[in-house]
Amino acid sequence: MGKRQAELMKGTLDLLVLKTLELEPRHGVGVADRIEQISSGTFVVKPGSLFPALHRLEQEGFIKGEWSETPEGRRARYYRITGAGLRQLTTEKKNWARVVMAIGLILESD
Amino acid sequence: MPLGSRLASAWRTLFRKNRVERDLDEEMQAAQALLEERHRRDGLTAAEARRAARIALGGIEPVKEEIRHRRPGAAVDSTLLDLRYAVRGLIKAPAFTAVIVATLALGIGANSAIFSVVHTLLLAPLPYRDADRLIFVWSDMTDAGYPRAPLSGPELADLRTRSSTVAGFAAIWANTTALTGEGDPEQLRIGLVTDNFFDVLGADPHFGRTFRADDAVPGAPPTILLGWPLFERRYGADPSIVGRQILVNDRPTTVVGVMPKSFRLLLPPDASVPDDLQAWQPFSSAMPRGPRGQQYLRVVGRMRIGATVAEAHADITAIARRISAEFTEYGAAGRLFTVVALQQDDVREMRPALLALFAGVAILLVIACVNVASLLIARAAARGRETALRLALGAGRGRLLRQCLVEGLVLAVLGVVAGVPAGYAVLGALQALRPHALSRIDLSRFDPPVLAFTIGTALLWGLLFSLAPLFEVVKSDIHASLQQHGRSTPGPVRYRTRAALVVVQVSLSVVLLVGAGLLVRAFFQVQQVDPGFRTGRMLTFRVAVPFQRYRPPAAFNAFSRELQRVLGAVPGVTGVGAISHLPYDDLPNWGGGYALETATNTSAAPNADYRTVTPGLFETLGVRLVEGRFFTEADQTPVVIVDDRLAQRLWPGRSALNQRLLVDPGSNGSPTVKATVVGVVSHLRLRSLVADLTEQVFFPERLVPRNPMAYVIRGDRDAAALAADVRKAIASLDARLPIYDVRPLDSYVEGARGTRRFTMQLAAAFALVALALACVGVYGVLAYSVARRRHEFGVRLALGAEPRRVVVDVMREGLRLAAIGSLVGVAGALAASRLLETQLYGVRPHDPVSYAGTIAVLAVAAAIACWIPARRATNVSPMDALRTE
Repeated sequence: MGKRQAELMKGTLDLLVLKTLELEPRHGVGVADRIEQISSGTFVVKPGSLFPALHRLEQEGFIKGEWSETPEGRRARYYRITGAGLRQLTTEKKNWARVVMAIGLILESD
Repeated sequence: MPLGSRLASAWRTLFRKNRVERDLDEEMQAAQALLEERHRRDGLTAAEARRAARIALGGIEPVKEEIRHRRPGAAVDSTLLDLRYAVRGLIKAPAFTAVIVATLALGIGANSAIFSVVHTLLLAPLPYRDADRLIFVWSDMTDAGYPRAPLSGPELADLRTRSSTVAGFAAIWANTTALTGEGDPEQLRIGLVTDNFFDVLGADPHFGRTFRADDAVPGAPPTILLGWPLFERRYGADPSIVGRQILVNDRPTTVVGVMPKSFRLLLPPDASVPDDLQAWQPFSSAMPRGPRGQQYLRVVGRMRIGATVAEAHADITAIARRISAEFTEYGAAGRLFTVVALQQDDVREMRPALLALFAGVAILLVIACVNVASLLIARAAARGRETALRLALGAGRGRLLRQCLVEGLVLAVLGVVAGVPAGYAVLGALQALRPHALSRIDLSRFDPPVLAFTIGTALLWGLLFSLAPLFEVVKSDIHASLQQHGRSTPGPVRYRTRAALVVVQVSLSVVLLVGAGLLVRAFFQVQQVDPGFRTGRMLTFRVAVPFQRYRPPAAFNAFSRELQRVLGAVPGVTGVGAISHLPYDDLPNWGGGYALETATNTSAAPNADYRTVTPGLFETLGVRLVEGRFFTEADQTPVVIVDDRLAQRLWPGRSALNQRLLVDPGSNGSPTVKATVVGVVSHLRLRSLVADLTEQVFFPERLVPRNPMAYVIRGDRDAAALAADVRKAIASLDARLPIYDVRPLDSYVEGARGTRRFTMQLAAAFALVALALACVGVYGVLAYSVARRRHEFGVRLALGAEPRRVVVDVMREGLRLAAIGSLVGVAGALAASRLLETQLYGVRPHDPVSYAGTIAVLAVAAAIACWIPARRATNVSPMDALRTE
């Protein structure tokens, strides 16, 4: 992991998790792998914060966990996004876009 | 998150714990296995792979803990854990727990009991319908020395016809009547009431009815309404008595109803309406036609809905002004009425005493709770290392704070559990002590408001205690605590907190001790008051001679003389006399104007207390004769004896003997009867021990007969032993003559001091308990300090220090706290004692004796409390002290 890693901004972890699960259900380690992979190693999500986040999202009804088998034949808890999760993802995306735009404006102003 | 799923999740967390835990466990295991496998595929050995996976996951347990912590219901869950921890902690230290529970039981119990009394007497509405609409009307005759006087019949009629704010006025006057017929004859205390009395008061009968207008029509068949005790005692609680006739004053009288067992007539104590009236009879509706000056009616009013006491007062004052102008009887002085809310007036005299007691008991609770807080701080100190360890292991401070709160709440619950029975016991004791003026105290109950107060107090204090050790937790320094291997030397901060608490305790106890000291001194002052007569070894009783059987007046007089002769002949009796009003009884007083014979305007004449006495009464009571003589059997012309205050006022610097004055024995409203003064006696305190300075006029019974009369018998044995012989002697004269109120004279005098005695005893008890608690506090903090300095003392003793020096050192430390506390307390007491002023008599609020006494008592008690730990300091064996290092 020679690449520079960035701190995840507070609150963005939920967004990333939901985005990751948008396409297909994954287990916890799969979610972490996927985030690291897409961000080309910029974001490394530690299980210490990922698992609590997954459980929280599940309690909030945005994702749902089910026991299933990995391609390697191991039992793992797979999370799939729910309708409420998809709606939440849309909202969070919009929020994020606003934040990015706002920060951009600030940075570009002289 | 939607509420539903949150609740469901909380439910799972709390009640499906195993399943949730198992799920979580499995998930984490699976994740670890997955990572392990991945690492093995990358070419690591099994052991290396496991290690790498563990590192990546960052430790399964903390992750699980984090997840658990975030679940809904997690707070409840961990609170339950705290609860278990707190309870276990208390069980493991039974002595510690017992001390705390006992202290709380004492403090909370005493508070609940006093609150229950305060609630019943001061806060709860009187037990009548819409009691807040009830008022009491007084005649204000302050100029004549009688600020709270009753009203006359015509005045009641005026109020009824003219008032716009009061819906109804009713009146009562206490009297006695004879109950004859079946069973032994007995004399009843009854209330003569207007027919609307119970409607105005708002009290309903249990059986039958109260009075109606047609019961009061002149010539209507006589009726009577029974009180429950009489109904139970004499008629076996048989409801069929209602509607039957009984013989009252030898006349067949119909029982119209029975008042409920719970009914009490709660009128102001100085209204002279005893609260143990046994029955009621209606006044004739012709009653308001009596003379305007004949004031005997105690008037209660029920205001119209929406009217205020101030409006009623203004209204009734205006009526007084108008009748003053209309009727010449009032003369230039006129008539003045005062209107007060019945509820307030009932407790007028008791209120300051009760509030003082309530304040005292609240201070006691503070002292008790400070002890508890101090104990908790000591324990938090002892647990300092455990706390630091828990913090080091990652426990959140918030968690520790919550744990303290939970512990405080557990103690509060214990306080309630222990306080309610304790309060019950204290209330029982108060009711056993009940002074006459506080007879309503037996209505005090542990009812819901009192329970709410108890629980509220306990919770409040529980929270406050828990704050004391909280401070310790917040300030806890992990490093310092953990580095002190094995030695639990608590820091100076803790000591300072506890020392400050002890100063607070001592100063509060000083306030209580001074207050109690003042009340005790005042009580002794009252006991020193010379009432103007002797009290020991005297029996009193009342007898009403039936006029019907002893007529004309000559026969009545002859009988009364015969009665006195027979009583005088009882072996061992050394003096007999009779008087119309016993000292300090609760019956209506009797008084009227007096004026010089030459006075032209008698309408503004000052008032005197009137008493009728028989020859022998003054001799029996040992009254001091200032000049002239006592009454004799030979008195035939209108003669009176006056007290020295009246003599001084009418004939200053001259002899009063053979002077003539005008008096009003027939209560016609103005003094018109001429009488000659044959004697002057020194003033008798007959109405109140401390505030009875009204002038007095005594009439001979022969000329101004009163019925019933109270007999006073002095004998060579005590009152109880005399009573049987006296009864026998009277029965030999007239077996049908009921005697009643057979009591030692002392009991009346004791009754007059009863309220003071009660207040004083309670205040003294509170102060002593407070002193004991403060001493425990001083002892506790000093014992703690000695334990802390064990090592130091060991070394000093080992190096040859004299044990005496060590004792002096420790004692100086403790006494310094006591001295600071006393100083603060004295300052507080100087400020607070002024609030007690109305309760004092013959003692100023800044009475030096009470203050000096308090400091002396405190110094001795504190010295003892300091000496015990000081002795212990010298018992430290140097070897032991060093070994604990």
